[in-house]
Amino acid sequence: MLRNRVSKLAATTMGGVLLMAAAACGGGDDTTTGATAGASSAPAEAGGGAKVGLAYDIGGRGDGSFNDAAAKGLDQAVSELKVEKKELEATAGETDAQKEERLRLLANGGYNPVIAVGFAYSGSVAKVAKEFPDVKFAIVDDDAAKGDNISNLMFAEEQGSFLVGAAAALKSEKGNIGFVGGVDVPLIHKFEAGFEAGAKAVKPDIKIQSKYLTQPPDFGGFGDPAKGKTAAQGMYDAGADVVYQAAGGSGAGVFEAAKAAKASAIGVDSDQAALPAYADFKDVIITSMIKKVDVAVFDFLKNFTTGTVKPGPTVYDLKAGGVDYSTTGGKIDDIKPKIDEYKQKIIGGEISVPTS
Amino acid sequence: MTATDLPVERPVETPPARRFRLSAPMLLLGLAGLVVLLSVARLVTGANDITSAGTVSAALGLAVPIGLAGLGGLWSERAGVVNIGLEGMMVLGTWFGAWGALQFHSPWAGVLAGAIGGALGAAIHAVATVTFGVDHIISGVAINIVGVGFTQYLSQLVFNGMPGGGTKNSPPLPKLGTVSLGFLDDPLRTLEATHWFVLSDFAGVLRGITQGVSWFTILAILLVPLSFYVLWRTPFGLRLRACGERPVAAESLGVNVYLYKWAAVLVSGLLAGLGGAFLSLVAAGIYRDGQTGGRGYIGLAAMIFGNWRPGGLAGGAALFGYTDALQLRQGGISVHALLLVVALLLAAVAVYQLVRQRRGIAALVTGIVAIAVFAIFALTDTVPEQFTSFTPHLTTLLVLSLASQRLRMPAADGVPYRRGQAK
Repeated sequence: MLRNRVSKLAATTMGGVLLMAAAACGGGDDTTTGATAGASSAPAEAGGGAKVGLAYDIGGRGDGSFNDAAAKGLDQAVSELKVEKKELEATAGETDAQKEERLRLLANGGYNPVIAVGFAYSGSVAKVAKEFPDVKFAIVDDDAAKGDNISNLMFAEEQGSFLVGAAAALKSEKGNIGFVGGVDVPLIHKFEAGFEAGAKAVKPDIKIQSKYLTQPPDFGGFGDPAKGKTAAQGMYDAGADVVYQAAGGSGAGVFEAAKAAKASAIGVDSDQAALPAYADFKDVIITSMIKKVDVAVFDFLKNFTTGTVKPGPTVYDLKAGGVDYSTTGGKIDDIKPKIDEYKQKIIGGEISVPTS
Repeated sequence: MTATDLPVERPVETPPARRFRLSAPMLLLGLAGLVVLLSVARLVTGANDITSAGTVSAALGLAVPIGLAGLGGLWSERAGVVNIGLEGMMVLGTWFGAWGALQFHSPWAGVLAGAIGGALGAAIHAVATVTFGVDHIISGVAINIVGVGFTQYLSQLVFNGMPGGGTKNSPPLPKLGTVSLGFLDDPLRTLEATHWFVLSDFAGVLRGITQGVSWFTILAILLVPLSFYVLWRTPFGLRLRACGERPVAAESLGVNVYLYKWAAVLVSGLLAGLGGAFLSLVAAGIYRDGQTGGRGYIGLAAMIFGNWRPGGLAGGAALFGYTDALQLRQGGISVHALLLVVALLLAAVAVYQLVRQRRGIAALVTGIVAIAVFAIFALTDTVPEQFTSFTPHLTTLLVLSLASQRLRMPAADGVPYRRGQAK
């Protein structure tokens, strides 16, 4: 009897751990913190006629980065293209069914096109798009959802990462750099692959340490600054002097470790040295790999109003201005010409950056 | 499992079994032995990080929230209330810790606020389970869900408007002070850098626990002996534990069981809230939605692991923190070196079983496992990333499964109690 209760309790505990892992699944690709200016603008006059539905990933408007960037693109479309907008937010730990319901709600409500932000919507978009063949769908960061009415807005994260990798190698005095990934998923592999290729292009024998904070299905690695801090500290202790993070909310921990070690770090997704949330760390963030979700969203809407939306993947790369690196703080001004040289080579096709 | 009395692998977390009492000298000897073993592994593999000051201090930082949650679980379960809601109370602690620190411009106000936040969650648990007799697990799960939802709502309300804050995170928080024994730093650092056998390892461990330790960490460590003292050496503690062992008997002696259970659950929430506040104030320096990452459950596991005793759960938390620090810092290499330690420990257990206990079959099984682990160690250079992340969980699960045969929970833990139920 006693032993049974011990086992029962142990089982419940384990169940809880698993549940948390599953609940964290929704974490997705939301990144960084801080409120950027973009207060929501009032719906514009429906001059353009189009009614745009947008479904956010967890975090939603105001997350200071990924979702906010999408919102920025949408707001731009509202004011410049005179479209009407409807935004719906996601909740943590929701199921695919809830995502499908959200998309259906938009499509049923007469919203066309419908934009889903984040790869977490992959399965839901594929399913719902079939039910509404006349509605155009767009999904950010995913190319698995395919259909005649689905546009996949993809980013060449590896190209932007290549540039910051080169910057890291140029700035590293010890010839030892690090990469901290949030969760071990293909999307984050692109960041790592580009970073590694960029660093090696500068210094072929450079030592690159790499760590993913959690393994899927545990997506907690995107929101656990304590883990990011520990991993980055380990890298700095082992001789690294520049660490690049693609770890969402855990990135704050990486910056914290950089500050404690008096070393450097590289931000991701938005110009993190310029974000109020990271004001304490702006002296350690030498550059950031910028991913312009706003450009992709605006572009898609613009194409929609002109009737030139094309299904399938559109890759926003360096050439299209979809990814870039930041120079806020002036820490890499001395090596900017070299980085721009790599940038031109990638744009010109001279260098092709691996994605995994 | 054929072996009903398999000795626990590591001396550190050996639960005080009935037959054999763990004395302080033995514990120190065991710890020293472990450091020697780690030193051997370090020399063989060259994984210098496994006893470095950085690893030890990271381990300490990762162990504290788990230990505090476990301590919270201990208080509540010793009074007979299963507290699976620790996770939710920790979440409340992270949020209120951050809010308190920002609101009153003092990290210590945050510590206090975090504890109170945790206690708020605990009060719900106490009302449900103690006053109304709701199933403990159901109430706990509900608190975990409510904790997450409530803090998200509050973030939207409070942090969203602050510069640098958002719906999912707070602005950066004010820092708590740290304490260092400065005069030890340089000599220990020099000694550690020589990478000598055993000496450098002790230097690393010592430097890790004497340099840059947060005051909050010290407070958390002190709470372990304090809990032991209150629960096992005072009349209050005796009555509280009586409520967890046989509430009816306690009631017949005039103990107000409801009151004691309430007190225990509230203290439990205070401690879990402190664990959460540590996460946001010290470990991360920022509140972030979902940053507890299941540490409340791990704390509960550490408590079971420690046989519902403060010392044991501290050992469990330390083991988890240490293995987590290892895998996060130098994943593949360090975990690979750890395999050698495990193989050696298992071999020692096998010898012990054969010579002292004369249990041939058990010794054979342990020996084979030891050889298998050693073979994996010898045939590989590093442990793949996909595996290293699970090291802490796997280690805990392994020790738990070996030790579960001799665990004893409070007799009336999780059993509903109504006043006057004994006829």
